[in-house]
Amino acid sequence: MPRLTTGAAAPKQTYAACSGCSLCLLVCPVWRHTRDLRYTPHGRAKALQHGATIADIAPSVSACTLCGACEPVCPENIGLVDMALELRRALPTSTITENLLTRMQTEKPRALVTKSAAATVLLPGMPLSWNQVLLARVRAALGDMGGIAVANDHGADIALALETGAAVPPQHIERFLAPLRQYKTLIVADGLLLRQLRAWLSDVKIVSLGAALSSRAPVRARLRAGDLYVIEPRAYHADYEKLVTHYDKLRAETGCAMNLDLQRIAIPTTVSSMPRRFGWETAADREQLLWLLKGRNVSRIVIENEEDRPAFERVCTIPIVHIAELMNDETLSAGKPS
Amino acid sequence: MDTAPSGTFGLCPVGPDALQGIRRQQTNPARWHGANWNEFATELGGLGVEVLESMAARGAFATDAGGTAYGLPHGVVIASSAVHISALLRTAQAYHVPVTVRGGGLTTEGESVAFGGVLLDMTGMSRVIKIDAAALTVRTQAGIFWHSLAEELRRENLDYLSAPLNLTSTVGGSLNVGGIDVNSPRLGCSADQAIALQVVTPTGEIVECSDTANPELFQRAILGYGQFGVITEATLKVRPYTPIRMHYFYYSRLRTAVEDLQMLDRNDASDYSGILTIMDSAVNLLVAFDSVERESAFQAQWQSRLRGHGELGFALRAAVRYALRPWKLPEAWYLWQRKRELFPEFRRPEYVRDGVMHDRTVVFSRAVWKFWGNRQMVIPDIATSAEKFVEAVERGNAVCRKYFPHYTLYCVGIRLRADHRPHYEMSCIPPDAEGWAYGCEFEPMIGTAVYSRDHLQSFKNAIYDIGVDMGASYYRFGGMMKGYIRRVFGDALVDRQLALKRAADPAMILNRDVIF
Repeated sequence: MPRLTTGAAAPKQTYAACSGCSLCLLVCPVWRHTRDLRYTPHGRAKALQHGATIADIAPSVSACTLCGACEPVCPENIGLVDMALELRRALPTSTITENLLTRMQTEKPRALVTKSAAATVLLPGMPLSWNQVLLARVRAALGDMGGIAVANDHGADIALALETGAAVPPQHIERFLAPLRQYKTLIVADGLLLRQLRAWLSDVKIVSLGAALSSRAPVRARLRAGDLYVIEPRAYHADYEKLVTHYDKLRAETGCAMNLDLQRIAIPTTVSSMPRRFGWETAADREQLLWLLKGRNVSRIVIENEEDRPAFERVCTIPIVHIAELMNDETLSAGKPS
Repeated sequence: MDTAPSGTFGLCPVGPDALQGIRRQQTNPARWHGANWNEFATELGGLGVEVLESMAARGAFATDAGGTAYGLPHGVVIASSAVHISALLRTAQAYHVPVTVRGGGLTTEGESVAFGGVLLDMTGMSRVIKIDAAALTVRTQAGIFWHSLAEELRRENLDYLSAPLNLTSTVGGSLNVGGIDVNSPRLGCSADQAIALQVVTPTGEIVECSDTANPELFQRAILGYGQFGVITEATLKVRPYTPIRMHYFYYSRLRTAVEDLQMLDRNDASDYSGILTIMDSAVNLLVAFDSVERESAFQAQWQSRLRGHGELGFALRAAVRYALRPWKLPEAWYLWQRKRELFPEFRRPEYVRDGVMHDRTVVFSRAVWKFWGNRQMVIPDIATSAEKFVEAVERGNAVCRKYFPHYTLYCVGIRLRADHRPHYEMSCIPPDAEGWAYGCEFEPMIGTAVYSRDHLQSFKNAIYDIGVDMGASYYRFGGMMKGYIRRVFGDALVDRQLALKRAADPAMILNRDVIF
C-alpha cells in the first residue's frame, strides 16, 4: 500500500526536533494574518512538545494553507507539510471528508488519459480541466506534438482528501497510480498532489506545471522586466533546492520580479488552499495579495496557477496572464520544442 | 485563591544524570504560584484583554531558544496595542501578577520564559507603521522581527542599519539588550539606532520618549532588559540597501585574528568585520564592504597587513600542521567535515553572485540556525573593553576546551556613542570601554550529546568568572545568570538601579527575575 507521507532525500525530522527558532513564522501566511504563534508550525510543535493534545491545536491544524513555505526554511529539516497532513488525519472526520470518502468508494473508474502512446502525462488539476481553451494553450506551450497525454482522472479527489485529512482507500490510490506508472514523466499542476506523487512514484520523473512551462525557451523569451511572475508555492516548496536555482536564473535572465521574499520563499496567494476553496478567510487572502503587490512597480502579472487570476482581479487592475498565454498564436501553432 | 497551571512537560531533555527520576516541571524555584489568578484574568477579560489559558497557547511558550529553562505561564496575552498592554500592566500591578515579555524568544537563560503569571507575546504587535524614505527613518511596532522589517524596507530599496544576525530577533528585544551585527564596529549596536520609542511603563502609562522627550525613560528603556517598560513602538534610522562584498581570511591562532580585527576597526578599514571560528584551530575573520570604493581602499591599504590566509593557503598550512601532529587527526577530520557543511551555505548561488552577497542576514541567520542551532543551547559570553579583549577570548577559549570537544566562538566589536553613555549603564557595554566594546560568545556544539544542566551551568559559570575577574560585562546576564549581576556590576550600581526599578514598578511585576 502506498504510504501517505512524502518522500525526501534526507530523512525528515518530526515536531520533536523543533528548536523554536521561529523561522517558519516569517514565511507563514497564516501567521502574517493572525500574528498568533499558535497558528504556526512553531506553535504546534512547541505546544505538542509541552503537553498539548491534538484537540488543543485543532484550530491551528485546520487553518494551515499547506503552502509548504515553512519546510525549506526549517533548519531542523522537519517534514512540516507531512506533519500538518498527519495532524489533519488525526482530527475528527468532518462532513466534507465523509462525503468525499463516500464518493471515492462508489465512483466508477474512468479512463485515465486521452492518449496512451505518450511518454509524458499531464495532470492538469481542477482549474485547468474546467478551462479547455487554456488547457489547449498549456499543451501547446509545453511543445506538445502528440507526445503528452492528458489525464482525465487527475487526482483531484485524492488531492482534496490529502488536504482535508481524509484517509483515502488504498484501492482508490492504487487505481489512480497504476496507469501512471507507464509514463516516464508526469507534469502535475496541483502542488500538493505533486508532493505526494513523488513519494508514491519514486521511479517516475515528476515536474510541476509551472517549472515545465517556465523551462520552455519560447515562454522565457516573453517574460520581461515589469512582469510579476507568481510561482505556484506548493510545488515550488516541495522541490525547493532544485527550483530555487531554476527561478533565480529565470529572474536574472528576464528581469521580471517574482513573488519571492528575501529568503527566496514563494509568497503564497493562499487562494487555492482548502479554507479558501470553501469560502473561508477571504480577508486574509486580500491582505496576502496586497502584501505581495506592495511597493512593486508591476505592468503585468504572470500566473502559474489559474486560480490566482480571480484573486488578483479582486485587488488590482493590472493585466493578468497565465504563463501559457504568454506565447502568441503563431508560436503556438509552430509548436517547436525548445 | 491559588491555582497552579495544569499540564505537564515531557521528559526534561537536559540533566538526566542530575535529576534522575524527577519529572521537571519548571526550572525557576521562585515561580509565581497563582494568587488571585482567576480574579485577575476575569478583570482583564472585562477590560477587553484576552488571556489564553489553553495548553496550545501556554505550551508554545514553555521555553526559550536556549531550551534549558522551562516554565509555564498561567496565561498568554498576545499584544495588540499599547492601550491593551497598559490595561494589562495596570491590572497586574493591582493583583501583583508577574508579566514576562517575549519578543522572538531568543534568550538562552530563560529571560523570556514565564515561570507563572502572564506571558506577553509582543509579536502580536509586528507591523510597520510608516517608512519615511526621505528622512531615512521607519516607525514600527516593536514586536516586529528584524527580517519582517527588512522585507518591508526592501520594497523601498531600504535596509535597517544593524541588527542581530538572526532573522527572528525582534526590534523590541534587541533594543532592550543591544543587538550586535557585523557592522556594529562601524555603526554601533541596534539599540543605538533608536531615535524615539513608545513605552508602556510598568504602571501602565503610555509614554513617548527620545533623547529630548522624557530622556530619562529613554535612557532606562534602551538596554534596559525590559525592567522599566514595554517598548511598543520604535522610530529607527534606516539606510539605502546595498549588497556586500565579502572577504574571508583564515587564521590558526585566535590572538592574531583578534588583533587584526581590532586593527581594522581602529582604522575604519572595513564596513563589516567579525570573527567566527571552528574550535580555535580554524579562525575566520570576515571582512566586507558596501561599495567597490571601500573595498578597493581596503585592498590597497590594509589587506597586506592582515596575517590571515586565503582558503587554499590556510588548508596547506593546516595539512602540514596536522601531518606533524597525527594525534590531532580527529580534530582535523572535524574541521574538514565542518568546512564541507558550512561553506556551501555561505555560497548559495541565489545569494552570492560575482563575489557580492545579497541579503547577508538571511545567509548568516539560516546558517546560524542550521549549523549552530539546537534544542539546547548555552552561549555564555564576555564583553570587554578593546584592551582586555584578547585575554578574555583566550581565557574563555581555554574553558571551552576543558568542557566540550567541539565549540565555536563569535567575536565582534561595537562602536560606542559617547552621547549614549547613560544608556550603557548596567548593560552589555562594560563601563571601562572607550570607543569600542568587544564581545565574544562561546558556544559548545552540543548536537545529539546529552549534558547535565549542572555541566552546562558549570561551563557558563567558568566563563562568567573570567568576566568578574577582568572587570568585564556580558550580553546575557539575566535569568539563570543573574547571580553574576552584583558580582560584576557591584552593589552600589545595582542598588541604585534597583531603587529606580522599585519606583517604576512598585509590585515588581514586569519581567520579574530577569534582572531583579
